Amino acid sequence: MFIGHFTEQPWQKEDWPAAWGSGVMEVSNSEYDPLRASGLYNRYLDEKVYAEEMGFDGIMVNEHHSAPFCMNSVANVTSSILARITQKAKILILGNILPIHDDPLWLAEQIAMIDVISKGRLIPGVVRGGGSESLTHNVPPHFNRERFEEAHDFLVKTWTTPGPFRWEGKHFHYRYVNPWAVPLQKPYPPIWVPGTSSRETVEWAARHRYPYIMLASQIDLTQQMYKIYYDTAREEGYEAGPQHLGFMFFFHVEETEKRAMEVGRTLTQGVRSPYDPGAQRPRPYIAGPPGIATRSARALRRKMTAADSSGRTRAGARATFEDQVATHGMVVGTPDSVIPKVRYIMEQLRPGTIIFRTGDGAMDHESQMRTLKLMGEEVMPKLREIADELGLPGPYDIDPRTNEPLAAMAS
Amino acid sequence: MTTTPAFTEETLDIAGTSLQLRRGGSGEPLLILHGELGVPDWLQAHELLAKHYSVYVPSLPGFGTSSFPDWLMSVRDLSTWVSWFVRAHGLSTPLNVIGFSLGGWIAAELATANSHIFSKMVLVGAGGIKPREGEIWDYFLHSAKEAFQQSFHDHESAEYLKYYGKDWTPDEADQVETNREAAIRYLWRPYMHSITLPDLLPAIATPTLLVWGRQDGIVPISSCELYKEGIPGARAAVLEECGHMPEMEKPEEFTKTVLEFLGG
Amino acid sequence: MFIGHFTEEPWQVDNWPDEWGTGIHKVSNAEYDPKRAANLYNRYLDEKIYAEEVGFDGLMVNEHHSAPFCMNGVANVQASILARITSKVKILLLGNILPIHDDPLWLAEQLAMIDVISRGRLIPGIVRGSGGESISHNIPPHYNRERFEEAHDFLIKTWTTPGPFRWESKHYQYRYVNPWAVPYQKPHPPIWVPGTSSRETVEWCARHRYPYVMLSTQLELTREMFKVYYETAEEEGYAAGPQHMGYMFFVHVEETKARAMEVGRTLTQGVRSPFDPGVQRPIPWIMSPPGLNSRKAVALRRQMTAPDATGKTRAGALASFEDQVATRGMIVGTPEQCVEDIRYIMEYLRPGIIIFRTGDGAMDHESQMRTLKLMGEEVLPAMREIAKELDLPGPYEVDPATNEAVEALAS
Repeated sequence: MFIGHFTEQPWQKEDWPAAWGSGVMEVSNSEYDPLRASGLYNRYLDEKVYAEEMGFDGIMVNEHHSAPFCMNSVANVTSSILARITQKAKILILGNILPIHDDPLWLAEQIAMIDVISKGRLIPGVVRGGGSESLTHNVPPHFNRERFEEAHDFLVKTWTTPGPFRWEGKHFHYRYVNPWAVPLQKPYPPIWVPGTSSRETVEWAARHRYPYIMLASQIDLTQQMYKIYYDTAREEGYEAGPQHLGFMFFFHVEETEKRAMEVGRTLTQGVRSPYDPGAQRPRPYIAGPPGIATRSARALRRKMTAADSSGRTRAGARATFEDQVATHGMVVGTPDSVIPKVRYIMEQLRPGTIIFRTGDGAMDHESQMRTLKLMGEEVMPKLREIADELGLPGPYDIDPRTNEPLAAMAS
Repeated sequence: MTTTPAFTEETLDIAGTSLQLRRGGSGEPLLILHGELGVPDWLQAHELLAKHYSVYVPSLPGFGTSSFPDWLMSVRDLSTWVSWFVRAHGLSTPLNVIGFSLGGWIAAELATANSHIFSKMVLVGAGGIKPREGEIWDYFLHSAKEAFQQSFHDHESAEYLKYYGKDWTPDEADQVETNREAAIRYLWRPYMHSITLPDLLPAIATPTLLVWGRQDGIVPISSCELYKEGIPGARAAVLEECGHMPEMEKPEEFTKTVLEFLGG
Repeated sequence: MFIGHFTEEPWQVDNWPDEWGTGIHKVSNAEYDPKRAANLYNRYLDEKIYAEEVGFDGLMVNEHHSAPFCMNGVANVQASILARITSKVKILLLGNILPIHDDPLWLAEQLAMIDVISRGRLIPGIVRGSGGESISHNIPPHYNRERFEEAHDFLIKTWTTPGPFRWESKHYQYRYVNPWAVPYQKPHPPIWVPGTSSRETVEWCARHRYPYVMLSTQLELTREMFKVYYETAEEEGYAAGPQHMGYMFFVHVEETKARAMEVGRTLTQGVRSPFDPGVQRPIPWIMSPPGLNSRKAVALRRQMTAPDATGKTRAGALASFEDQVATRGMIVGTPEQCVEDIRYIMEYLRPGIIIFRTGDGAMDHESQMRTLKLMGEEVLPAMREIAKELDLPGPYEVDPATNEAVEALAS
């Protein structure tokens, strides 16, 4: 079992008008107060350092652009810092948005340096990005998947082939690829892929034997996506297992149930991700510019978000804090009450990777530190026992590339 | 029998450019589009062709002493410029064209867009298509001198020795650098090839001859195959024991091959 | 007086063949041993932390590509780390290579985050880069200066203009510029420009009132370049002063002259910068591809490196360690001797910025730490006295943008 920690690092401000929602391509950056930002960035870093101390196996970071709900515009900046200020936790980037890079050699160089400085602790995940990422960096959305795959292939080749060599693809061109930094991890750092509901992405991840981390915290949907992974794996001639599958969900734990519900609720307040249940979605032509998704993917998404018999959309049905707590989309409670709930998730999904999303939304620093402490002292040790009991190896127990057992996770 | 070359060289203000133009001979016009290393002189091959045609050898914008307007940024811009030049200079169309390397790429681009401009087209060691096997030699990771060495199979051939296999005067070296500055703007990225040209070649209606030196050290002969597959009815003539510049390395054999095609 | 610290962070290995020289565009990255690299990166970071502790005002980092003499392939990775692991020094990037970025919005975002995380300690200097950088990143060298100026203008606009706005120019196009991170420092972080001998760069710099830091350790040449700055400033209608002028040179300090000479010599050994005196130069057409530099600049450089009356080239004349020590290109000795030599430089050039290049070449960690200690205890305090006596204000005493006095250097 691999247990990760994540916060989206939201902008926090009391007088954020509800109409601004997540702020994605809605709010002028004249609202960005650098003094407040420096406090927030450093607070989130403090929390990550503490999460390592409390025993998390990995610290996850992500990035979004022109997006107040995620202050971490450049995941590699935070990853660089974590490479030096943490000692043993994996640094999990989910991920670099490959298609929006015009020059992926920068990524190859940055990621190699970060892996080396961290002494081989980097997991440089890759994503295609939402429409707003393509719009802000003005990168053609219609070539998103082509660029994703070409950039991925370029990175892997750069990390595994002694330079110099040429790369002359459709979207990227180099005549002298020979960076003076290659990753420490061989053959190259483990790549993980997060997803919400794109069938093509799951299949692509499964074909590459890359762990797939489901970010949309809906158990039934996740089961469907995992099934695609298992089926694709069989087509590829290998057996997928927990080591290939991850699940992320909101989490808050306190000494009392009452306090947990009271403080946990702040996870659904403040500047929230537009991808979260119940949050205001970005305008459709921003989230999905022409060409970024295939017709079949669009059809699937329509079906998934169609209204249920009660007339509410499926996403909407999980919108309120209480709803989410009731459906295990959010796990909130005391150490004693949350463990059975997480066990339920582990039994239902059999993931080898679990990522706790905590301290998000409008949560304050003290509450986040309190929950991290309880997680380290009471929750995680129990979860590791349950994982052993259920036979849920993580990607550092069983190598997803070979299905061979690995030495116990480096510590 | 040697004859004194008969050509004129003039500077014209034409097609948006202050243009260096060499011409000689008489008869139907024959347009020569030089390669990325420029053209140093009125060459023996030009002289041989001028016995049959009125031969026009413009220095493309940026090359020779021609000016280099900022708006020319790509080979497609350059092919449009060629069509502008043909019209502005009053050349009758359709006319025959021979394009060398970069010039071949320009001619091919133009022929995909305009099936009425060329009567026949000869592409010699043409750039523009990423070879199936091998790579287009990288001019910009090598010196100017090495570029000429690489372009010739026979380093004892007369025009190699006359123009390249010797110490350059400062003026000659300066001209070489000027030509490299022009080439780099047109060819840098994607390097000496177009992503979309292969898909456009079937649109070419112009009868086409491909001429390649078997030992072309710049554009591998597998690019010749791709051109042949792409352009309907194209024929290929491969010259043995010959590099990237058949017109300078084997002027007589080259001219004979070309004249047979143009006259036939 | 602003006193900075710099090391180029060279690759270090005992058995580096002489003919590999600087290794730039010559050596396959198959030679890059990530375990060795991990120790070197972290060693250089340790040294930077110590440099802050002993009292340097700034830590300078730079970057080169496919260049073993400078392991720091991405300056912003280290700058990110320094933003968090140091607390009062300036982080001086000299600099980001603007023209080799196809998408300078990444720079705008990265630098804003670094400035904010460091709470306003970033000096994001900018450079044009030599041919090797353009070749590695496959960026058109012939548009180098245009891209440099356009990217600079884009960064400044992004940092000073509330988003969203459009930017549509020859080399860069965006239709929605509104990153959710803008710098801490207002109106924007101070930009410094390093140079060696490009007259065009000095003039550009003077027109923008940016401090110019001369990296080529030749006193006469530096004075010529400073003169160009003073003259251009006059044309622009302001008086340049020490706050606009910087100078970098090698320094090594030990308790005894004999030891200083013995250990200082290692600065001229190992994998060295091709820009340093006496070092094998990179291949000319890689250093300077067609169109990278104007014909005028190329002619000037040829003239400067032409043989002098003795038949040695000017660069060559400074080649040996002894020569460099004799001509004050390198300052090597006891603290007293070093202070005396540095006083000469301060009197001769009147710079407001001095950057010590130390711990470079084949220097080992212990020697670097020893010299940093002596610098902090004896050299820096003496220099600050001399600077007062000679009236050499640095850019944090007199604002280069206005020539107004500013608060004493934040500490």
